[in-house]
Parts: sequence; C-alpha cells; structure tokens
Amino acid sequence: MKVDKSLPLEYGTEQNRLNILGFWVFIGAEIALFGTLFASYFTLINRTGNGPAGAEIFEIAPVMIETILLLTSSFTIGLAIHAMRMGKVKATITFFIITLLLGLGFLGIEIYDFIVFIHEGATLQTSGFTAILFLILGTHGAHVLVGIFWGIFIISQLFKHGLTPRTNNKAFIFSLYWHFLDVVWIFIFSFIFMKGML
Amino acid sequence: MKELFPRKHVYGFISSLLLSIIALSLYYFDLTFQLSMSILLITAFFQAAIQLIVFMHAGETEDKKSIYITIYYGVFIALVTIFGTLLALIWGYY
Amino acid sequence: MDFLDRFAVPNPGPTIYASMVAIALTTIAIIIGLTYFKKWGYLWREWLTTVDHKRIGIMYLISAILMLFRGGVDAIMMRAQTAVPDNTLLGAQEYNEIFTTHGVVMIIFMAMAFIMALMNFVIPLQIGTRDVAFPRLNALSYWLYFAGAMLFNISFVVGGSPDSGWSSYFPLAGTDFSESVGTNYYMIALQISGIGTLITGINFITTILKMRAPGMSLMKMPMFTWSALITNLIIVFAFPVLTVALAMGTMDRLFATNFFTTENGGMDMLWANLFWVWGHPEVYILILPAFGIYSEIISTFARRNLYGYKSMVYSMIAISLLSFLVWVHHFFTMGQGALVNSIFSITTMAIAVPTGIKIFNWLFTLRKGSIVLTTPMLYSLGFIPIFTIGGVTGVMLGMASADYQYHNTMFLVAHFHLVIIPGVVFAMIAGLFYWWPKMFGFMLNERLGKWSFWFIAISVCLTFFPMFISGLDGQARRMYTYSESTGFGVWNMISFIGAIGLAIGFALIVYNIYYSVRYSPRNIPADPWNARSLEWATATPVPDYNFAILPEVKSTEAFWDSKIYGDKLFNKRIEPIHMPNNSGMPFIMGIIFFIWGFAFVFGLWILLVLSTIGIGICLALRSYEKDEGYYIPVDEIERVEKTGGKKK
Repeated sequence: MKVDKSLPLEYGTEQNRLNILGFWVFIGAEIALFGTLFASYFTLINRTGNGPAGAEIFEIAPVMIETILLLTSSFTIGLAIHAMRMGKVKATITFFIITLLLGLGFLGIEIYDFIVFIHEGATLQTSGFTAILFLILGTHGAHVLVGIFWGIFIISQLFKHGLTPRTNNKAFIFSLYWHFLDVVWIFIFSFIFMKGML
Repeated sequence: MKELFPRKHVYGFISSLLLSIIALSLYYFDLTFQLSMSILLITAFFQAAIQLIVFMHAGETEDKKSIYITIYYGVFIALVTIFGTLLALIWGYY
Repeated sequence: MDFLDRFAVPNPGPTIYASMVAIALTTIAIIIGLTYFKKWGYLWREWLTTVDHKRIGIMYLISAILMLFRGGVDAIMMRAQTAVPDNTLLGAQEYNEIFTTHGVVMIIFMAMAFIMALMNFVIPLQIGTRDVAFPRLNALSYWLYFAGAMLFNISFVVGGSPDSGWSSYFPLAGTDFSESVGTNYYMIALQISGIGTLITGINFITTILKMRAPGMSLMKMPMFTWSALITNLIIVFAFPVLTVALAMGTMDRLFATNFFTTENGGMDMLWANLFWVWGHPEVYILILPAFGIYSEIISTFARRNLYGYKSMVYSMIAISLLSFLVWVHHFFTMGQGALVNSIFSITTMAIAVPTGIKIFNWLFTLRKGSIVLTTPMLYSLGFIPIFTIGGVTGVMLGMASADYQYHNTMFLVAHFHLVIIPGVVFAMIAGLFYWWPKMFGFMLNERLGKWSFWFIAISVCLTFFPMFISGLDGQARRMYTYSESTGFGVWNMISFIGAIGLAIGFALIVYNIYYSVRYSPRNIPADPWNARSLEWATATPVPDYNFAILPEVKSTEAFWDSKIYGDKLFNKRIEPIHMPNNSGMPFIMGIIFFIWGFAFVFGLWILLVLSTIGIGICLALRSYEKDEGYYIPVDEIERVEKTGGKKK
C-alpha cells in the first residue's frame, strides 16, 4: 500500500480517502433518514388519541443531562482525533474510552426516560404520537448503541496495532459518526423536547 | 497536557454548551411561541455548523466540494420532506 | 402442527400448487446439475465469492432476466383474466396478489436490478478504473438484493403473497384488512433489498467522484456515467425515506403501533405520503440511467458526438432536484386544498421541461448523422415517440383538476407503462445488445434482435393504447373483472392480444441469447460497434484488472479521438496491479439476512435475535479482518495482454 506522508495518517492511502468520502455520503443519507422521521413526527404531533401529549410527559432534567453528556462526548471524540493526529496513542485511547462511557451514560438516561414515559401511560401502542416519539428517539438511541459496539472494536484495534493508516482511518470515520449523532440529538432536543415543553 | 486541548476545540465546546443553555433557558422564560421557535432554529443550526466545521473537519481535503454538496443536498431533501409533508397533510388539508 | 400452520398458504389454488412443484423441481435440478457436472467449487470460487464488478454485474443481469419472467407471467395472467367480461380464470384474491407482485417484482427486482447490472458492468470501464470504490460492499449489495428478491418470491408458496397493491396503501395493508403475512413479506423484502440499493448508491457516488481516469474532469465524463452519478445521488437521498416508511409499516403490522391506523391518532395517508416521497424519485432512479444509455447508443450509431452535452447534464441535475418536489401528484384526490394541488401541479409540469430538452438533444444528435440501424439503435429510436406519448399523458395527469377524472383508472396504467416500458425496458434491452459483446465476447444475432424489437414495439402500443380509452370511459385499475354492459371488453381483448405479442417478443430475445451462444462467431474485435467511450478501449473479454495501464483522457470522447486523431490513451508502463481478494462474507451475510427477514415475517423472535447477532458477528469479523488484497505481477499482465484478455 502506498502511504502519502504529507496528509494525516487517516487520509494516507487511496482506500482511506475513498472510505472517508463514502462515509460522508452515508451521512447525507442519514440526514434524509432523520428528516423523514422529523416530518412524520411533526405530522403526528397532535394525534395523541386517548394518550398523553408531549407536554404532559416530557421532563427537563433528564433532557438537560442527556444533552450535556452527548455534547461532552462529541468534544472528547474530537480531542481523541486531535491526539491521534499528534501520534499520541494513549491519549487517543483514553479519550475514546471517555467518549464511550459518556455515550453509555446517555443511553442509561434515555432508557430511564422511556420507562418514565411508559409509566405515565405513553407506550409504543398508545397513539400515533407516542409511536413516532419512540421511533425517532429509538432510532437515535440505536445509533448510539451501535456506535458503542463499534467504538469498542476500534479501541481494541488501537491497543493491538497502535496508530496505523488503517486504525486511524477507522477512528476518524467513527468520529464523524459520533459527531453526527450529536447533531441529530441537538435537533431532537430543540424540536421535540424544547418545542414540546414550551 | 495542554496540547491535548486545542483552543479551537475548547472554544467550539464552550460555544455549543452556551447555545444549549440558551435553548434550555427558553423553558424558564415566557416568550411567544414564534420567538422561542426562532431562537431554537438559530441555536440548533449554529450548533450543527460548529460540529460540522470545527469537529468534523468537513472542509480539510480536496473533497470539500463533494462533501458540502452532499450535506446541502441532504438538508435540502430533509427540509423539502418535512415542509412538503406538513403542507400536504396538515396546513393544506381542510 | 399449530406452529407449521402459519406457513400454509391461506388461499391455495392450482396456480400455487403448480408453482410449488415448479420451484421444487427447479431446485432439485440445479442441485443435481451442479453436483453431476462438479461445478460447486467453480460456482463458489468464481461467482458466489466474487468481488469483481463485472461478474457482479452479470449476476444482477441474470437475476433481472429471471425476475422479468416472473413479473411477465403475472402480467399475462392479469391480461388473460380481464380479456373478456365476467371471466372466472382467476378469483379476486388471486388477482389482487398477482397485480401486487407484478408491480413490486418489475420495479424493485427487475428494473432496479437491470440498472444495477449495466451500471456495475459499464461504469468502472467507462471511467477507466479497475473496480468500484468498495468492491466488498458491492458484492454485499448484490447479495442483499438477492436475499430480498428470494424472500419476496417465496411468499407465493409459503404463507401467502402480499395483496394490497405495489403501493401497499394503509389501512388496506394494515392487519385489519390484510390478515395473511403477505404484506409482512412486502415490508421486509423491500427493506433488505433497499439497504442493498442504498449501499450501491454510496459506492457508485464515491467511485465516480474519486476514481476517474487521469484527465477526466466531471464535464468530460461519458453521459451514461453522468446519469449514473445523478441516479445514485437520488438513491442515497430517496431510499432512507422508504426505509423509515417500511419500518413504520412493519411496526404497525407486527407491534400493533398506530402510525397508519385509523384510530388512536394514526394517519393512514402518512404512508401514502412517505411512500411517494420515495416513490417519485424512484421513477427517476429508473429513467435517468436509461437516458444515459440512449445518449451513448444514439451518439454511437448516429456517428456524431452528443448534441448539447452541457444541457444534458444540467437538465439531469434539474430533474434530480425536481423529482423530490412533485410527490403529491400521486394523491391529488386525497382531499387537500387547491393551494397544495396547484403547487404540486406546477412542479410536476415543470419536470417536462428538462425532459423535453433531452428529447430535443437526441433529435439534434440524429440530425445530419449517418445513422446505422442496429438493434440497440432501433430500440433507442422507438423509445423517442412512444415515450413522448407516455410523457405527454403524464402532463395531463399532472393537472390536478383533470386528474380527478383520470385518477386510479386504466388511463393511469397506460401512462406509466408507456413511460416505463419504452423508457426503462427498451433501454435495458438496448444496453444489453450494445454491451453484450463486451460482457461475453460475442454478439447477439441482429436479425432476431430486430424481429424482437418490432414485436415488442408494436405490441406495447397495442397493449396500452386501448387502456387510455377504457380508462377515460371509467374502467378502474385493479378490478379483477367487469360486466359486459360496461363495453370495456373489446379494449381489454386488444390489450390481451398485445400482451401475447410482448411475450413473443421477450421469448425471441431469450431464443436470440440461446442461438447466439451456439452460433455467433467468437472472433470479434474489442470495439465491434465503432463506439466512442473508454469501455471499448480494453480487450474483449475484459481482463480481471480492466486496464493494464490506466488510460489518460483529454476530451469527452477520448476513445473516439484516439481512433480518429491518434491521441495516445495508454502512456505509462505496466506496473503490478493491486486487486482485492474474493470473499465469502457477502454471500453468507445475504443468507443470514434472508433468515433474518423470514424470521421477521413470521414473528419468529428467537430466530430473529439469533440472526441479528449473526449479522453483528459478520460486521465485527470484517472490522478485525486484515485483507490487503494481492498484486498481479507484470509478466502475468503482459501474458494476458498478449492473448487479448483471455486467461491461459
């Protein structure tokens, strides 16, 4: 494999550059996916049937914590990539682990949130509104979950192989994914929770 | 240790925290719905831009143009889907 | 026994029993044949594990032709049932199942696969590269498509076919009105093959943006490559919408949610809305590659460069954006206000403008050209008038107020068949004849090809023109029969005769393939059509690595210019070529996805969890895998080049 030394390692080989552009295109598709979910959410928002409306079940405290956790994790994965570019493998792994732990914390609170919803009578089957609420939050949460597994694979490879064009490429693409999940959360937080609680 | 926390990232993080706090504080103020929504729109899109430019390094390679076109196209489709759906099923339906 | 009952077909009839026997016999025949001729190893090494874009293209091609016949048999049965009033050949339920599977099979599993076949085979050659950006993912795309297609096709004999139309509108497709697992099959099979299509989209965008031959700027790409780029862009942004809609539909059916129900706040029209947000761009996903193929063929056989290259490109970009702005015209009659209908009426009619530009460009390319009437050219010339009729009736349907008369009648059926058949099917057949020598090293028989063209072209008109009239007279689509007093009988009989003509035409194509395999001369040149783009610059059959030396390009028609002006395409020296290794993983993942889908359809939750874990394990293995590929040494390349591409 020819490695281009003038670029950061993650762009080092031709295949690496292809991988990164390909992943950006995938993010484009994800934008369309979440756009569709938002379109359905806004359509079904007032169709609560006999169930509760958003304002009745949303709570600000968990949402606030989730937001801070995810924002911080987005910051730490950014730092991981920065450390990776400086060639510091230990710092990279440390930031990766912090990121995943923050993600895990986010998931824990989201599950707590779901349990609260269900206790307040908003189950998946209650109404059109609750169905799309669970679907949109669940899709985002599932992305985070997949991200955590993926992150674990990458950490173990960083341990094993150190910083190579291959591992750096994977880590960088993972960081794109993780930042994107943060962007999606910002929109969920603003236009589902904040809008619902106003 | 300091070099692990580049200024660009720290500022990016602080500004996205600030934007979130502004958005969250709307909960405690009693603004009109329109005004609140406008503020939410601004804070959300600013935060997205910070992630994209500061953290995701969208503009650092020769593929900058392809990447931005993909993102713009995606956002265009998302907005068309959202507002078109609302137009057909809610606003224009009577 | 209770457990097995769920797999029984709810409405068994002679057609279904016949299919069961046919499927069983074919499977046995294939297994015995492979064992007898000792071809299992060959099949595994050369095809099931391949990551070569050319072979994947050929596998898509074979699948597409098989699906064409599955969908074609459905079509003949429908035309036969409606040929005379009060016919009892098929019952209402069978008819519902047949028109549903006809639509899905033809659009998703035939037309899409045909497009994928030609894109896979041609695009890397046309841009002068050695493979797609992600060869392994490309194989995965194919096997996901294949898993989806097989899952959909077994519905006929295991558990029951979907029966709520290819658009599966709710609440009809909900559990209240569609009790069998048929619609589950629809949701899951489309989901699986849709994921495959999305992956292809990402793959080809990356390939075309990053892997073009040196010197080939975007504005020097051949028109088929341009159309593929735009098509894949639409795929990437339209298919996620389908993914979401299918997920919601699946949840409604299996988890009793209320997305599309008529109670507890569900909204049935949200399905229709999302379906067409995907569905209309899907139409352009089908038609744009066809436009690209016609551009290649018309300029090749008019012996002229393509007229208005730039306007062709810009009109495709305009179509790609407009295609996302028109979807509401599929349900003008839903009950929304005049404002909404006016907006979508105008965007719909606007799309005719860039399409018209393209039609005129083809006509101007033909003007003063020295036209050679080969089979691909005949299809391309036949396309222009028939497609225009289909297109103009589309503008009629696009007028919201008039649409209240046409909506859901045979007029609509006539319109979209007259767009899709000349638009997509003609293009696919034309492309098949055109690129066949590059794929297989011999040409298809021209005389039989022309016969098939005339049969198909005339029969298409004969089949679908009468539907305009019966539609305007009020014959609704999807009616399994009608009474004599309606007066629809004569039109439907003409349609039936046309359908038989179409069947003969397609049978002729198959006979042509058989005939040419046996008798067609094998010593053809690498460029038998005197064509213009890079895929003809390499040897026939194409070596594994496509080009021994990557071509360097100076103009839009680099290969033509190299023939006429003597521009040198290949300037560098031969170097060792890096190739990806074959892999069984995509095939295995396809099988696991098939099991996953089957478990989902029947709600076999343990199996579903197991297969989900299996998919996760495959992904993890891939992450840990170290596969650097291999190099073909220089002397090996030189040896292959000397024999003109043939191995050994």
